[in-house]
Amino acid sequence: MNLSVRGKLDRVFTAATGLSVVLLTLVLVAILGPMVYRGSSAVFFQGTVEFRKMQRNLFGRGDEQLLHAEVAETEEFRRQVYDMIDGFKKGVDVEAMSEQAREIHRQFGQELRDKNLPADQYTKLRELTRQIRDKLDSAFHSQDIDEIQRMVAEVLKNADNPQLKDTSAEKLFAIARQFLQAARQIDLSKHHEYAAALREVEGILFHSETLPGLLGPRPGEPAAPLVMLRYGATRWDQAQALLDRFLWVQEWVEEKPGHPLVMKRRVRAESFPPSLRPLFAYVEQNAGKMLRPQRTVYWQFLIDDNVNSHYFGGIGPEILGTMLITVIGMLFVIPLGIISAAYLVECSSDGWTMRIIRMGINTLAGVPSIVFGLFGLAFFVLFLFPLLGFEPKPCILAASMTLAVLTLPVMIRASEEAIRAVPPSYKEGSLALGASRFHTFLAVTFPAALPGILTGVILSLSRIAGETAPILFTGAVSLGAVPHSVFAPTRTLSYGSYDMAVGDRLAMMVPHNQYGMVVALMMLILILNAAAILLRSRVFKKLRGQ
Amino acid sequence: MSREKKEDMQTLALTSDIRRSNIRTTIPTIDRKERTPKPAGDVCECAIIRSENFSLYYGSKVGVENITMDIYPCSVTAIIGPSGCGKSTFLRSINRMNDLIPHIRTEGKLLVDGHDIYDKRTNLVNLCQQVGMVFQKPNPFPKSIFDNVAYGPSLQGVRNKGELQNAVEQSLRAAALWDEVKDDLKKSALALSGGQQQRLCIARALATKPRVLLMDEPCSALDPIATGRIEDLMGQLQSTYTIVIVTHSMQQAARVSERAAFFCLGELIEYDRTSKIFENPSKKETEDYVTGRFG
Repeated sequence: MNLSVRGKLDRVFTAATGLSVVLLTLVLVAILGPMVYRGSSAVFFQGTVEFRKMQRNLFGRGDEQLLHAEVAETEEFRRQVYDMIDGFKKGVDVEAMSEQAREIHRQFGQELRDKNLPADQYTKLRELTRQIRDKLDSAFHSQDIDEIQRMVAEVLKNADNPQLKDTSAEKLFAIARQFLQAARQIDLSKHHEYAAALREVEGILFHSETLPGLLGPRPGEPAAPLVMLRYGATRWDQAQALLDRFLWVQEWVEEKPGHPLVMKRRVRAESFPPSLRPLFAYVEQNAGKMLRPQRTVYWQFLIDDNVNSHYFGGIGPEILGTMLITVIGMLFVIPLGIISAAYLVECSSDGWTMRIIRMGINTLAGVPSIVFGLFGLAFFVLFLFPLLGFEPKPCILAASMTLAVLTLPVMIRASEEAIRAVPPSYKEGSLALGASRFHTFLAVTFPAALPGILTGVILSLSRIAGETAPILFTGAVSLGAVPHSVFAPTRTLSYGSYDMAVGDRLAMMVPHNQYGMVVALMMLILILNAAAILLRSRVFKKLRGQ
Repeated sequence: MSREKKEDMQTLALTSDIRRSNIRTTIPTIDRKERTPKPAGDVCECAIIRSENFSLYYGSKVGVENITMDIYPCSVTAIIGPSGCGKSTFLRSINRMNDLIPHIRTEGKLLVDGHDIYDKRTNLVNLCQQVGMVFQKPNPFPKSIFDNVAYGPSLQGVRNKGELQNAVEQSLRAAALWDEVKDDLKKSALALSGGQQQRLCIARALATKPRVLLMDEPCSALDPIATGRIEDLMGQLQSTYTIVIVTHSMQQAARVSERAAFFCLGELIEYDRTSKIFENPSKKETEDYVTGRFG
């Protein structure tokens, strides 16, 4: 071949290999980069005052005095929001107002009874307030402003009645005045529309029955049963998403008949009368002051238990469980794998039984992991445990053993290759000195094969730590106590990621926690691998005498 | 290290120095070409290794057939012959290294020290300790120098640290490696040069205090200088050990051995003093081989 052609071909080859390496790197970065970025936001983020409140209440972290001062400062800005909403409610939320009037009437009756008035006077006053109440009630439910004005005027005629002075009945007149004022400003025909829209706004600002809101519950409100509803947006990114929902209404609109619906965004303030519109501008401008975002490093994410199925808190028990299962699994895999490999290399001749055993190992390596999961359930949990007198229920031990069976073929094959690769001259040298075959294996062959065996350890380590299907039925749970023995089931990172992804809307609400779990799993495997690789290189260097 | 131990070591070094200098003075190894073998009558006439119609077959293939020869103690015996003639097979039969190969079969007798080693009652561990072996390629274990040499003694049950140290030092001195490695006994044996590795293997074999040392082409992987050192070493060792060496180099056989055996196609053609084999062979095949007409 022409020399220049050969040179060109060489360069093309070099370029092609280089290109493929670059492509591979890019693909890796494209896949892992966003994942790591999102996962790291579980630890590094802008935490709001609600986050610090949650940390104080649930985990006992942070200075109580400072927190109180901070909360007081934010409350100052929040109070305006409360006032605006309450003021608007006076004209809109008629059901609440009739209820209030009825309550005042009851209270007044109690007061009268306490005063021991004569019977006829008592009946007269009761009758009067009942009339006032009923009139107010019909005024609340009227949609005609003239009618309302007339009714309220009639009610207010009694305001000068000396017998009602300094009693709780006076509150009725206050309500009446406020209502008249509010009713003049709003379109009474839209009463119900406004009430519904206001409920939605309150849901976004405080909390709805199922979802947490921007600011959290109003002070004095009884604590919600769900912990996640007791706090507002703990993270600034969450707050901004809520703010967006607060300021904009998303609607599916049919633009042309017969065409698919189109998503439209519309300013939410427009669905309210002008009297409430300043609220939106106020919240938009003062969100920072009401929540006080601060740069936060929540490293305790790695040790905390979660609250409200991963809405708050961290992944400590998951990490612990993963490590436990991995370590116990390796305790089974390493000795079994090495002994099996030693048998295959040292003690067996190449008969047809050997061929069948080797074929079995190779087939086992290709069996889907869910099959191992079912095997683990059937064999370890339901058959072996009762036989040994243990309770037949999923636990760490069963999960570890199932994972060990799963990775055994990998370990055996890697160790077999390693032991086979030891020069036979080492073995001859040892035997010529009078050593037995067992001693030769222990003292010469095994140490020489150690780097290769450690490669098998690394491979099975990653597999054990990352598998989900085999532990589905044998030892993983999505919620539960931190394991205290190997006979208890545990949470793991791999199963947790799966559970969050298929569970409910939670993963959508806290994507940082889901990605955080996945990234933590990757990092854990990376660290375990790095440790094993370091160990291998040290062993290798020691053997080579460097 | 305690002072007593240090003194111990010094006296030990002194005595072994004296021993080595004795060896140097009593055995003329300087002029290798001129060296004449000692007459057979001077050494003990009773053979340490005696082969009586010994044959070894790999399945149906012949390894060696009908070998009858006596190997005398405290001398170097060379086995020469073309490739595939069964030299190594015979050598490896002497410490039963061939047992590793499946489907082998032996006939006849092979006596070491009067015991038939192919007898069922033979203690293989004892045999291997009596008959040490050095291989064609240096094969130190991937351990430290110290651990390599101490491997044999610790197999014999020596656990005492001082005893092991003594054994290691003696063996390394006997293999003329002590001065080169005494400062880093903890270093990996694989870091040594090829010649040093082979001498380490000799030291390792000597550490079990064998009576016979089998060498299977010990210099074929070494350069001439390292080869020279190993040959010098053999000259020193032959006063205490019986050495059987298989070699492809006829010059080497002529330089180091007292007696030589010529093997061809699995049979022993001629066995006599080296000088006779090279100068006045009684068989035609031997003459053809040593004069380079074939092989």
